[in-house]
Amino acid sequence: MSVYPLEHATASATLRRRLTAVEEVGKFIHAKPLGAAGAAVILAMLIVAFLARALAPYDPYTGDYELQFARPSLDHWLGTDEFGRDVLSRIMYGARIALFVGFTASVAGCSLGALLGVLSAYWGGRVDLLLERVMDILLSFPQLILALAIASILGPAVQNVVIAIAIPIVPRVARVVRAAAMSVKENVYVEAVRALGASRPRVVLQHIVPNVFAPYLIMLTAQLGSAILAEASLSYLGLGTAEPTPSWGLMLSGSAASYAEKAPWIAIFPGIAISLGVFGFNLFGDSLRDALDPKLRRG
Amino acid sequence: MAMAFPRPRFHRIGILLVLLVVSTTVTPLEGGAAETPRRGGILLAVIGAEPPSLDPHQESTFANIQLVAPLYSTLLQFDPYAFPKIIGDVALDWKIAPDGKTYTFKIRSGIRFHDGSPLTAADVKASYDKIVFPPQGTRSTRKAAFSSVERIDAPDPVTVVFHLKFASASLLPNLASPWNVIFPKKYLDKDPNHFKMNVVGSGPFKFKTYTRGGMFEGERNPDYFVKDRPYLDGYRFFISTETSVRAAAIRSGRAYIEFRNLPAPEVEAIKKQLGDKIAVQETPVTAHWGISVNNTVKPFNDVRVRKALTMAIDRYTASRVLYPLTGLKHIGGLIRPGSADWALPQAELEKLPGFWRDAEKSRMEARRLLAEAGYPNGMKVVLKNRNIRLPYQDWAVFVIQEWRKIGVEAEHRPLETAAWFADGQNTGNFELIISPPVEYMDDPDVWLGRYTTGSTQNWGRFSDPRLDDLFSRQARTLDPAERKKLTDELQRIALENAYYMPGLWWTRNLVHWAKVKNYVAPPNYYSNQKLQDVWLAED
Amino acid sequence: MASYLAKRLLLIVPTLLGVASLVFVIMRVIPGDVALLILGGDQGSHIDPQQLAAVRQQLGLDQPLIVQFGVWMWGLLHFDLGTSLWTGRPVVEELLIRLPLSLELAVLATMISVLISIPLGMLAAVRQDTWVDYVVRVVSIGGLAVPSFWVGILVILFLVLFFGWGPPLLFTPPWEDPWANLQQMIWPVVTVGYRYAAVTTRMTRSTLLEVLREDYIRTAWAKGLAQKAIVIRHALKNAMLPVITLIGTEFAFLIGGLVVTETVFTLNGVGRFVVDAVAHRDYPVVQALVFLIAFGFVLVNLLVDLTYAWFDPRIRYQER
Repeated sequence: MSVYPLEHATASATLRRRLTAVEEVGKFIHAKPLGAAGAAVILAMLIVAFLARALAPYDPYTGDYELQFARPSLDHWLGTDEFGRDVLSRIMYGARIALFVGFTASVAGCSLGALLGVLSAYWGGRVDLLLERVMDILLSFPQLILALAIASILGPAVQNVVIAIAIPIVPRVARVVRAAAMSVKENVYVEAVRALGASRPRVVLQHIVPNVFAPYLIMLTAQLGSAILAEASLSYLGLGTAEPTPSWGLMLSGSAASYAEKAPWIAIFPGIAISLGVFGFNLFGDSLRDALDPKLRRG
Repeated sequence: MAMAFPRPRFHRIGILLVLLVVSTTVTPLEGGAAETPRRGGILLAVIGAEPPSLDPHQESTFANIQLVAPLYSTLLQFDPYAFPKIIGDVALDWKIAPDGKTYTFKIRSGIRFHDGSPLTAADVKASYDKIVFPPQGTRSTRKAAFSSVERIDAPDPVTVVFHLKFASASLLPNLASPWNVIFPKKYLDKDPNHFKMNVVGSGPFKFKTYTRGGMFEGERNPDYFVKDRPYLDGYRFFISTETSVRAAAIRSGRAYIEFRNLPAPEVEAIKKQLGDKIAVQETPVTAHWGISVNNTVKPFNDVRVRKALTMAIDRYTASRVLYPLTGLKHIGGLIRPGSADWALPQAELEKLPGFWRDAEKSRMEARRLLAEAGYPNGMKVVLKNRNIRLPYQDWAVFVIQEWRKIGVEAEHRPLETAAWFADGQNTGNFELIISPPVEYMDDPDVWLGRYTTGSTQNWGRFSDPRLDDLFSRQARTLDPAERKKLTDELQRIALENAYYMPGLWWTRNLVHWAKVKNYVAPPNYYSNQKLQDVWLAED
Repeated sequence: MASYLAKRLLLIVPTLLGVASLVFVIMRVIPGDVALLILGGDQGSHIDPQQLAAVRQQLGLDQPLIVQFGVWMWGLLHFDLGTSLWTGRPVVEELLIRLPLSLELAVLATMISVLISIPLGMLAAVRQDTWVDYVVRVVSIGGLAVPSFWVGILVILFLVLFFGWGPPLLFTPPWEDPWANLQQMIWPVVTVGYRYAAVTTRMTRSTLLEVLREDYIRTAWAKGLAQKAIVIRHALKNAMLPVITLIGTEFAFLIGGLVVTETVFTLNGVGRFVVDAVAHRDYPVVQALVFLIAFGFVLVNLLVDLTYAWFDPRIRYQER
């Protein structure tokens, strides 16, 4: 007799908890619908990328020569490309490359930029002067030429593309973070803390870093999307990842023009994947900025 | 006076000491004969690259010759209607001594350069001296093709004599090369590099304007030595590096012709939209996309590894898969299949590694060879390439997929052209690299030299005395049958040892508006660019 | 102000020197040189080691790097940008062929984007978190998300497929034939302008939001509808500075940075010129253009900073 009610009780409890979670999400969606949409896109991309091996119906590298340019069908939802490779599988594996390039390039570029920005602001003096000049140089150097040069010096491997995209990010982030750190540094309380005898690293870690975290995060999300786009553009110019790697930019750069009419699915779907991915990251980044930046918060 | 020319058995002709009279009026094409050529109009063309200079002696890119060929004359030329038949251009006729060591050319009189000065034997001599014995501070791309030439004389204004050190089987086609244009001597005397930036020719068109990165334009030469030619008032080349842009330009009628190639899917789309308004000439090309193997680095100095790699490539499937994408189509050895005289017979080819009909059997043999060479579990290789999509990268994609089937993992590294030249040709910094030989004719001299020791075209850096010996013997053998035996043997040895992995021979789509008349696409994109007989049915 | 200006001008020197050294080094590190390309032709099969050495010597590529750098610097000091290794023509001459087109494109795209983005950005800010805001943001973020080469190719394809029309292949200056010019420029201007409007719209929206949060504005806003117009005008004035900064730097970017657009629309512009020069390993051209682009960037930044300093005297003293 006692078993049933108990079970019933737990069931209803979980049910209620679930409802609250759903409500939470609902609330978020209601408050920041665009940000939520962006988050959903990112989440979907992450899932696809991590589970590509399980989700992708075919090997993205192996073409079926009997099925060149097959139209979208039940066997090949998004059709096949010029070598008979499954477009859907290539897009799924392509999510890995896009996310890998996007994340590593923007995290590396932003972190290095943030580090240099904080150091520059904190030490001031000659270090600042020197670092600022270096950043100025990088900043005024045409971004594309820099990426182009790095990519052609290092060769067209994925990790080199990451470097080529990351370096131009550094000065942009460094400048913003430095400005943020400067304003914190000049705050009365940091000066007070230092007067109390706190060590330099401690001041940096405890007071400056938390305060530049918001601009860092904003820059990071902003760069994620553009890093994915940058990879596509480098591929278009023949300096990105190399065939047969299933990269979105590469899938587009090779075929967009030549096959756009004969087999539009080859040209359209990777383009949609890129646009959607970048759109998601930017949407999310924008809302994040609205939320994190106190000056933009709704009053 | 006009005498029909037989098939180009020039070598035999050389021995027989025949006085050849070349027709001065060009016989119009069968199709073109029915229509009366219309005068006037500007031929609008698109081109995919821009040349470093305007001097064809110093360049070897289609971007140079397609722009300037209409402005110049050459000593001999390939018949615009019947490649590779050789006819005169400024040469009226010629004589070859019985020992094949003296060639005497009669120059047409009354030819004038665009600056009004007459073209004489002295100009021909000066131009060829520049090519064969380039003066300090200038370069000559085709100097090696004339290694047999001892000296060139111009005894009188209408006679040019080439004296040879040894009889050369390929002298005549080399003299018909579109690149060896005749410059006026007086400018060369002042500056041998004058024509890098200036044009003074005697061709059917005169130079008009050149906007770098934009457009090159020529206008009708009213004093052209062939009567009533050219038909066109002028021609314009628009420069665009993007293939899809060039295709769109043809499609929208902004340009009437692309003299090189457009990818099959684009051609299909254009045909679909414009139907009969568009003509497509699909021609074989004297070019094939193969792979150089660096014979100086391990393990590629092992013939078993090289053989395994070439045997893993199923060229018959490759042709089926790649032809609709890239035009890579014909399966052949080291000389173009279909070149009447020199290709290796198909039956013989099928016995050589990489050409077996049974792909599975070939792959098994490849795996066995790899195991024997010490790679029972396959190996990792780096395949370098040029960062051009068609046909370079598509060919690589196919090859990489084939190699996976025998356990060879290839990392694909496309390089910019400059880096590709540097690694492949100059420094040899590669294991495997896609490297296509592309020429303007089929003669074995230009096709087989690259397999000899120390040749600048020998990217694989191998050295086999047998190949060197066979090559130099065939170059001096005037009897075609005898020469064929030697070239076949050379091909067999090179292929049997997999010094180089031949790819597929290319075909191209020359696309033009149907209103462009009287242009016959040769099996290369260098010759027949003078445009003197081309006319426009409407503007 | 004068000492601030002097300091800022002085700081330009190391930056430009740094850019010059960086581009010089980068170009020498990239594998391959122009001599290989000149001799290589279509397939690189005719490169002869002796001729290669001769061409390198002729072009001065065999000289010690420090000498090459010195020669370049000396030329720059005399306003001599050098000679293209690829065409043998002065870099200035080559640049002047491409500059009018790039300038026109930059000016038109900027005009379009300013006309679109400022009203839209304002609207979105004033109506933050309403559907108006969402639509504006989706449209502007969308503009940043789509790869421009993809759009370009699809636009060209669309035009040719449905109208059998393609843009002219040669640039005609507007003063020669405005109609031909318009035909060629319209599509690139629209695609670039949209993309660029997207950036500016976002900037306008966020800076305006910041200003709208300021206390005095909020007070004024609360006072009633009648004041709203004045408020917006006032707020906008304060919000415009960062937006103008962005427009300035973007304009500098547009002149040399539209490689992909120029390629897709067959525009013989500066961006394409730089990238082709990199591919040709045409050192003097790349060096000169990168230097000029950097110079333009630095100059625009200086002007922007001076404007700030003019408005806000505190900056003059803060900066070292």
